[in-house]
Amino acid sequence: MATTAAPAGAGTTSPVAAVAEYRRPLIDRIAGLALILPGVLWLAIFFLLPLAIILVVSLGSRDAAGHLTLAQPNLNNYIEATRPAYLPAFANSLRYSAITTLLSLAIGYPIAYWISRYGGRRKVLLLILVMLPFWTSYLIRTYAWMIILRDNGVLNSGLQAVGLIDEPIALLNTDFSVILGMTYGFLPFAILPMYVSIDRLDQHLVEAARDLYASGSRAFLHVTLPITMPGIVAAALLTFIPAIGDYVTPDLLGGAQTTTIAKIIQVLFTSGRNWPYGSALGFLLMVVTLAGTLVALRTLRREVLA
Amino acid sequence: MTYEPSAPSSRVEIELNRYLAEQRMTRRDLLARIAEIGAVAALAPIVAACQASTSPSAAPSVNAATPSAAASTAPTPQPTPQPTPESDLFVYNWDGYIAPDTVAKFQKKYNVKVKYDKFPDADTQMTKIRSDSKGGGYDVTYPASTEISGLAKDGVLLQLDQSLIPNLKNLAPDFTNPDYDPGNKYSVPNYWWTTGFAWDPARVPGDLSSWTALWDASHKGHLGMLDDQREVFAVAGFRLGLSPNTTSEADLDQMLALLKQQKPLVRKYTEDDIGDMTSGQLWISHAWSGDWYQMIADKPKIKYVVPPEGAVRGNDTLVILSGAKHPIAAHLWLNFNLDAEVSAANTNAIGYMGPNAAAQSLIDPAIVNDVRLNPPAAVREKLVELLFLAPADLDKYTSRWNELRA
Repeated sequence: MATTAAPAGAGTTSPVAAVAEYRRPLIDRIAGLALILPGVLWLAIFFLLPLAIILVVSLGSRDAAGHLTLAQPNLNNYIEATRPAYLPAFANSLRYSAITTLLSLAIGYPIAYWISRYGGRRKVLLLILVMLPFWTSYLIRTYAWMIILRDNGVLNSGLQAVGLIDEPIALLNTDFSVILGMTYGFLPFAILPMYVSIDRLDQHLVEAARDLYASGSRAFLHVTLPITMPGIVAAALLTFIPAIGDYVTPDLLGGAQTTTIAKIIQVLFTSGRNWPYGSALGFLLMVVTLAGTLVALRTLRREVLA
Repeated sequence: MTYEPSAPSSRVEIELNRYLAEQRMTRRDLLARIAEIGAVAALAPIVAACQASTSPSAAPSVNAATPSAAASTAPTPQPTPQPTPESDLFVYNWDGYIAPDTVAKFQKKYNVKVKYDKFPDADTQMTKIRSDSKGGGYDVTYPASTEISGLAKDGVLLQLDQSLIPNLKNLAPDFTNPDYDPGNKYSVPNYWWTTGFAWDPARVPGDLSSWTALWDASHKGHLGMLDDQREVFAVAGFRLGLSPNTTSEADLDQMLALLKQQKPLVRKYTEDDIGDMTSGQLWISHAWSGDWYQMIADKPKIKYVVPPEGAVRGNDTLVILSGAKHPIAAHLWLNFNLDAEVSAANTNAIGYMGPNAAAQSLIDPAIVNDVRLNPPAAVREKLVELLFLAPADLDKYTSRWNELRA
């Protein structure tokens, strides 16, 4: 933002009044709009528009030939989408994303803390290492997990070779492999926001707590943790929200007993050829996720972030 | 069939341009007309013009069928019209689904440049060719037979001009008038297969044959079913003596109940029966015959059976898309793949049987004599084709499939 000359006569009024009276010149306001425009357009074209399309499709139905028709918009798809038969898959999605989020926070926080406090001159290098997996396609990394985890895979063969087990343990196609794969995938998204908030923490506050005879753990619990809570909340959201709709990881690493709601939606769109129904279920999932997130944020803001 | 690149091609081109100018048509209009009335009818005036303007000395090889030519050579069979193919052809197929040299042979024979794109699964294929309702820019693709009636109804397919596909005569009788496309109006059959089950005898001893093996609790945690709702419900149908094409809610409820009993044993509804069987992840799995043939390349001991209760016979097809920009080259591709030698080479490469009676003697005896790849007549009688279902009927399967999966 360009510095502008103070309005004439500013010298005579108090600084507070000057701030209150200050109005940005027109050119600045236009510049501000211009700066925000790409972001707004991006959101409109790639988020709001697809969302609107999904909403419209979800109110439609199919004619006898299977084509989408909006002749009689109705909510039948939403009524169908709440079938209790799908609850186990929804419960799986919730469970996987909740556990993934907790694990990502528990593993990610110490890493972020360590990089920030002890990274020294290598901080940038360490952060690059956190993001290094992004240099390879997620799909390839997930296939690598399959090779590690399967019955004759690296892990089972290794355990058998050292005589710890006789028969391979079923690792792939289980809850374990799904949660492992998801935690692995989402961990960097949890580390980065937590790192930022830990790095911004004024270390003098911790020193002050220690000067007042707080033990190391008390100082952490009463100073460091509350102050870095916004980073933890951001990390939780960045993990939980994408995790609940994750399709690739449970599909590749999961099995017959680990179906998620994303798979149910995929079936409706592909072999089920029922886009209106799939859209309704997808939209419903998004609304539920959004509502849950807002409630959680409100509660947190009142109790933790206040 | 030979390609004659000299005089006729330019003459066809000249006559084509003249015709288009006279009729105030664009090439696109002509293609639309081909889609409506078939290539021979649409191109007849051009072919006739070529014929009329050809001096006997210039190009005696132009021998296209015109009414007058047919009349003058009444006793001999009508010669096949051979319009000049376009210079390119866009083919959309599975990866590794034809013999490695099929494309090169075609390019050499017809001087057509083939652009060959691959799809990873049938859902992607369908989404792409339906994206603009006329093929998404491709000329030829390979849909499963169950898709044909829906695709034809939606105008995605070009009605074939059978006079450009003389090799249709090579088809075995089973395939000349299929239920999914009577008279092969829109499609020609490509490969056919059965869906049975495969097992690794090192892990699952015994000579299995009945579908009940897939409900055997001793395979718990190592049993696979295909990630394909119609195929999975078909297995339950064969066990219960119900049609795999049933649309009765009561039948489907029975099938679902049986599949729910099986689910705790199932490790995976697999999209990769080959990889899961060869890596030892699965010991016994619902599988396609051609996939089994690829499993034994890695693990020769794996067995396969077509259960006596009945099994699904599937086939896929070659079709020309209604938006095809190279319809003549596309017809030539279909005809080429029905050639006995080409068809046999494709089967020898991937292990799926072709519908080609003329090719039988050219197929590797290890394939053609294997009752699992080429079942005898007694087994063939028990095979059932999956038919295309109307949306409301398909929903009955989908909702139960999702209920099973959830």
